[in-house]
Amino acid sequence: MSSHEARDPEATWRVVPVYALTRGRTRSAGEEMPIEAMVTANELADRHNPALQVEYREVLALVSGPVSVIEIGAALRVPAGVARVLVSDLANAGYLVMHLPPAAEENGRPNAELLERLLDGLRSL
Amino acid sequence: MDSVRSEAPRRAPQTTRPELVALKVLVAGGFGVGKTTFVGSLSEIPPLSTEEHMTVASVGVDDADAVPDKRTTTVAMDFGRITVDDSMILYLFGTPGQDRFWFMWDELARGAVGAIVLVDLRRVDDSFAAIDYFENRGLPFVLALNDFPNTPVFSNASVRDALVLTGDCPVLHLDAREAKSSRSALVALVEHALARA
Repeated sequence: MSSHEARDPEATWRVVPVYALTRGRTRSAGEEMPIEAMVTANELADRHNPALQVEYREVLALVSGPVSVIEIGAALRVPAGVARVLVSDLANAGYLVMHLPPAAEENGRPNAELLERLLDGLRSL
Repeated sequence: MDSVRSEAPRRAPQTTRPELVALKVLVAGGFGVGKTTFVGSLSEIPPLSTEEHMTVASVGVDDADAVPDKRTTTVAMDFGRITVDDSMILYLFGTPGQDRFWFMWDELARGAVGAIVLVDLRRVDDSFAAIDYFENRGLPFVLALNDFPNTPVFSNASVRDALVLTGDCPVLHLDAREAKSSRSALVALVEHALARA
């Protein structure tokens, strides 16, 4: 995540309003993507990179490894909703591997198996 | 046509990889109760902040703006990250505290492991809203009393009474500045969530 630190905070305030980046969209097409969902660029990202709008290239530059939608938003200094639209566009166009949340229980929460894993991990930190 | 769509490849490559898991825990409580400190003590990255711009009705808002009905406001939301194992990440979200941003919580709460409700015993009233919210939605939560200097000492039973806790949520003490202490609260929450899973 070195690109977070690399950005000069004084130099990166946008002149273009954020809604213009997404052409007015605040909701992404397709399935609802949670803000903690992680994405990684795939091999297509390199080949098509130069032709993309700058905001898409900024997203792709961040996601050589798995990064969440909300972290992308923070790095680009845009709201999570805007980051979600950009990520969703790139995913729909086939540039990103999406790491979708596991199938949840009926109540929408993580299942016992995942909670056990989380507990083990936290205890061994 | 500089849209991403015009560059779409004809053949769909691999676009999902389910084995990497991201989970989330909400950190709630009144203003100044230590949410950011808590997230910072546990996160492996410096807590980041995302700003959500939104238009809100200015009813009840002390507002010198010339626009009478609506205004755009910015809500900052802190978050941190813990790598749990080689394929599991836990995100911690410090929830925006003001009452009028409750609607943002619904998205945050969806799919969450549960919530840590931080309480400053000198200002218990500030935690009622968060407790109500999680009780109403049946989301597992623990009540973590952040021990500030000069915090009055009460038994956990009287804290339960004072906060009118109806459920079985654990009540514990912590020092949000200490990673070990904050981690114990997180472990207590996951144990509680597991008992209810």
